Amino acid sequence: MNFKLILGITSIVLFTSLLMYNFGNSIDSYVNFEQAENRGSAHVVGSWDNTQEWGFSRETMRFTFYMKDEDGNVRRVIYPKPKPNNFEQATQLVVIGEMRNDVFFANDMLMKCPSKYNDADEAEFTQAEQG
Amino acid sequence: MAGTFGHIFLSAAFVASIAALIAYTLSAYKESKSMERVSDWLWRLKGASLLISSGILIYLIMTHQFQYYYVWNYTSLDLESHYLFSAFYGGQEGSFMLWILCSFVVGLGLIRWTRPPYKAPVMAVMALTQVFLLSMVAGWDLSWMTLGASPFRTIAQEMPNAPFIQANPNFVPADGSGLNDLLKSPWMMIHPPIIFVGFSMMTVPFAFAIASLWTKTYNEWIRPALPWTLAANLCLLTAIFLGGYWAYETLSFGGYWAWDPVENASLVPWMIGTAGIHAMIIQRKSSRAHKAALFLSILAYVAVVYQTFLTRSGVLGAQSVHSFVDLGLYGQLLLFILVMTLMGIGFYIYRYKEIPSPEKESQILSKEFMTFTGSMLLLILGLVIIFGTSSPLIGQFFVDNPTPPEISFYNQWSMPIAIIMAIFTVIGQHLFWRKYTWETLAGAMILPLLLTSAASAISIIAGDVGNISYMIFIFAGWFAVFGNGAILFHLLSRKPKLIGGALNHIGFGVLLLGIIASSVYTEPLLDQRAENYNKRVEAGTVFDEEGFPVTQPVEMFELQIDQPKLVNDRWMVTYEGFDVSNAPRPGQQSYRVKFEPIDGGRSFYVDPVVYPMLTTSSQANVEWSVDPHVRTGIFEDIYFYVAGSKYVEKENERVSEQSQMMPVSGVQTAEQDTAQTVEIARGEIIEAGDFSLQFIDFRPATEEQLPENTQVGIRALVRVEHTPSGSAYEIEPLFAVYTENERSFTYSPPLTIDAWDMDLKFTRLLPESESIEISIDGPINDFEEDWVLVVAETKPFVSVVWFGTFLLMAGFSVSIFRHWSREKQTQNDFIDDEDDELEDISQA
Repeated sequence: MNFKLILGITSIVLFTSLLMYNFGNSIDSYVNFEQAENRGSAHVVGSWDNTQEWGFSRETMRFTFYMKDEDGNVRRVIYPKPKPNNFEQATQLVVIGEMRNDVFFANDMLMKCPSKYNDADEAEFTQAEQG
Repeated sequence: MAGTFGHIFLSAAFVASIAALIAYTLSAYKESKSMERVSDWLWRLKGASLLISSGILIYLIMTHQFQYYYVWNYTSLDLESHYLFSAFYGGQEGSFMLWILCSFVVGLGLIRWTRPPYKAPVMAVMALTQVFLLSMVAGWDLSWMTLGASPFRTIAQEMPNAPFIQANPNFVPADGSGLNDLLKSPWMMIHPPIIFVGFSMMTVPFAFAIASLWTKTYNEWIRPALPWTLAANLCLLTAIFLGGYWAYETLSFGGYWAWDPVENASLVPWMIGTAGIHAMIIQRKSSRAHKAALFLSILAYVAVVYQTFLTRSGVLGAQSVHSFVDLGLYGQLLLFILVMTLMGIGFYIYRYKEIPSPEKESQILSKEFMTFTGSMLLLILGLVIIFGTSSPLIGQFFVDNPTPPEISFYNQWSMPIAIIMAIFTVIGQHLFWRKYTWETLAGAMILPLLLTSAASAISIIAGDVGNISYMIFIFAGWFAVFGNGAILFHLLSRKPKLIGGALNHIGFGVLLLGIIASSVYTEPLLDQRAENYNKRVEAGTVFDEEGFPVTQPVEMFELQIDQPKLVNDRWMVTYEGFDVSNAPRPGQQSYRVKFEPIDGGRSFYVDPVVYPMLTTSSQANVEWSVDPHVRTGIFEDIYFYVAGSKYVEKENERVSEQSQMMPVSGVQTAEQDTAQTVEIARGEIIEAGDFSLQFIDFRPATEEQLPENTQVGIRALVRVEHTPSGSAYEIEPLFAVYTENERSFTYSPPLTIDAWDMDLKFTRLLPESESIEISIDGPINDFEEDWVLVVAETKPFVSVVWFGTFLLMAGFSVSIFRHWSREKQTQNDFIDDEDDELEDISQA
């Protein structure tokens, strides 16, 4: 009985710490472009800088634009997929990927789009792949 | 006016639910029959007012009364009537009403069928959940807070400070903002009702568990509760399936499962409910696991409420694709989850010492141990998924500003747990029907293990599986199929009514196989150019403009019209053009793409659709959405969508030019005459821009096509070729000279080549040189052929995922009938043939 109790408690502790460890590793903080420079994968929040050159190139099959993060750093973002359809309307972008040599290579992109007419609380997130 | 009535009836339902709660609690407390009858009538009264107010809401939607915010926000004039009806539960408020309606009907069933001593306490708990749910839509304006958000509030009440309301308080919009185009799908019409029936039924085991703790009768409650729990699970499973199928068919995520918080939120109650079913079955058969059965029944409903909290309070707002609009219900939802958790878990702890527990530990090789382990594994997996889904809340203890966990977090945990589960299902199912020692069990496992090894070897070789954990996963899946298949085989001939469990566990194995095949072995479709490019990316020999190596592979390709491309060394794929139509969605384009297998199989077409999202598009910017084509097959699906096309690009240019065009007088912004003329002698070929024109010969013109008083009428056979692509058309434009009022006129009707957006006219005839003059109007210099940008994948064995799901549904259905008929006949002398063992099960 005592042995089983110890075994039970040990396995619960093991399970919980493994879960915590794994969970802690698989989540991340949202960062800005400068902080993203020295890490592997990063989530950066910001908005599209529409004053600079942008667009999808059918030659390189990549979508390129400039994004301004929440602290005002502007960087070029390369997204190897077609331009998401609701891109221009997005009030906020989240790019997920890697920063290399001042260029952000996004593997994924989320867009926060305002719905028609309403105020900020009715904003909705849509995934980039959502055509 | 009607809205006021709706609001009154909804409020009446709320009051009646409070009255029913008090009445049921009193009758449970006093064990009074007459009080119970009063309570039943209060329940029905609540249902009646709820039905009336729902009817009024549907009426408002059907008659397009856009002064109501809910009607304006989710419908529009052009919506088909079946979608108008489903808009009733399309929004946050209406979906709460649907949930309440379903719970009301479930309550009627409980009133009819529940035996004493459980009826009154069970109904008291049901009434309590109704009070909470109704408070979410009551819309009572108390002085310090608003209680819930009523679907009957008007735009003026919703946005009192909006300028157009201040200018005109009786403002009624001409049209609504419409239902989201993505939700216009038959799957999305039936998904919500099924999920709410499931949620309502999941309340029943919770209510029975509370009633059992209340009445201190810990044995009998599972008999009536078990069929309800099974039915709840069947509904949730069906709803999860429909949601997954919709996501796969409609969205361009490229899959049926994305570990999205909303998907997880419906999966976790299902898992905990299934864990509870396992505990209930042990309790029924062996009088053990009373504590687990109670605990899991409580937890399953708490999970339902928790998922409601996560998806509807706005906590997930930043993380999920489809969380609900935040209606400011955070406080009410938090109270709901706290009361349910504290009542359930608190009561459980309070009674903990009284709940029977087994005198001696069960052996490892027993059905109790195996089933219980299965139950715990389901619980653990459920908790891991809840943990990941709650990252906006829990993640704050780890990092600031937490992001959602990576997908790999879910996969790393669910894969090993699923493998252990698969093995336990086989041993557990064998022990469930017969006693085994380790030796006899090993004997019974020989045949299933042989079959499993053979099937795994074939799958691993055929699928070229290199990853060791995938190999184990595949082995576990096949083992669940064959091990439980042996049980099914024996039951079918002897006790076919009892095959529910065996079917479920086979379905689980099939599901595992389908999931691994379809998710890990998904491959993008690529043309040779993209394939070569990706090979060079992998080798690190592609550099971008700044000279740094490119690391991201390309996962799309382009098709030019009528130019076949070899794709994945399997098909010649040809884009053959598109049609624009206005049904079912205005302005949608349906693209025709032909697949011809190079090994000589039957060719087929896919026709993906692109359409403008009218609800979110504006004058200056069209927002396009795609409807992928999924070609379903037994061995693989082809998932195909158009991510860009020349048409879409031109439309975007046109729309943005229009919106920038200023109405300046005197400035001619209209199209200039771009027509160009060429002279061609018979048999000659003339180059014009990217095109070449060959005048082949004259052709006679038929009488009826010519104007009256024609003197000369002739056609010219002209071959027009687009030089870079080689595509060509032969046309026969007409030239005529006729007289009217004694004056001569020429008649040269234009012929249009749609694909090139080009008009051609036969403008002059030069008989002396046997030449003709052709006028070409269209983009002949920078002419671009029609093209589409394609994103496509092959997904092997998605059909197996659906098949596994169907097996699970079938298994649950069989079990529901069996446990329900036993519960109905429980007072009669029902002979339970499950309890005698299957002696000859190992004679396989």
